[in-house]
Amino acid sequence: MASGALITFSLNIMSALVALLTSYYAYKANRFVSSSVLWAISIGFMLLGIGLVIDAGTSLISGRPLVEITGRTAGESFSDRVLTLFASLTYLTLQMVAYLVIAIGYARSTYGRQLSTAAPAAAVSTALVSLYSFSILSYFVMLILLAFIVFQGLLLRSGHGGRFSGTVLLAFVLVFVAHCVLLVSVLVLGSGLFLVGTAVQFLGFLSLLVFVLRSEVVGPG
Amino acid sequence: MAQGEKQRSVLRINLDILNAVRDEGEAKPTHILYRANLSHERLVKYLDDLTAKGLIEMKQEGENRTYSLTPKGVSFLIEMRHAESFVQGFGLAI
Repeated sequence: MASGALITFSLNIMSALVALLTSYYAYKANRFVSSSVLWAISIGFMLLGIGLVIDAGTSLISGRPLVEITGRTAGESFSDRVLTLFASLTYLTLQMVAYLVIAIGYARSTYGRQLSTAAPAAAVSTALVSLYSFSILSYFVMLILLAFIVFQGLLLRSGHGGRFSGTVLLAFVLVFVAHCVLLVSVLVLGSGLFLVGTAVQFLGFLSLLVFVLRSEVVGPG
Repeated sequence: MAQGEKQRSVLRINLDILNAVRDEGEAKPTHILYRANLSHERLVKYLDDLTAKGLIEMKQEGENRTYSLTPKGVSFLIEMRHAESFVQGFGLAI
């Protein structure tokens, strides 16, 4: 396996574990608090985790060394490519839905419940565009959703007595930056940039892991 | 009813009561009432509810009545502290 693919696989698997852990803690907290935002965070991070596992699997298939690929029949190579394409689309869709769910959760909390029906319709219509355009568009949609989440975090941190954790905010900012880099990598088809984007995204999840572990050990101040 | 009390959730009030009981060890109703900022009528209702759930227990010695946390109440408070920390991290309040 190529080293780049191995790194991508490792980073994605670790990010997926953090996302699933965050989802579990949100689910656990929701049993006590019963908040729609926590529910959205739980579902959103679960979808992210599943998506990241799928993407890790894709990087394993697409990162096979040339000698292994050339040893395969045309039919096997074709089915690999179809599988990779399907996995990439599933990953992008899951990511987009995940950030949409989290953004809707915060929107419902901040602005009321009228936003909840319009946003999923946008995701469905997005899924109808062609494959390459879909990748670019979905990254754009994710960037907008992440920017919205970061904005909500800043609002909650600065006003209304809310105490949005700096570590969580940093995590969302890093994931936002990662998606900016990933978008550029899709536009210029640069694998190096893709690796950088994946690494920055991992740092975001690492920041989230620090927060989850700290909240589990320390408790509120 | 005070403005602050109106905005508190039932969970928040229960937590305030449990924290007061924990801090006192064996808490008298007047101390809990002061710490939880509740009317006597409402405090009795909440204390009965928490006793029924097995989170606190009452001891009566003559005229004196005190409340203390049960083991179930202690573990509930620990779980709640973790949940509260997580919830606050995402900008939410209990």
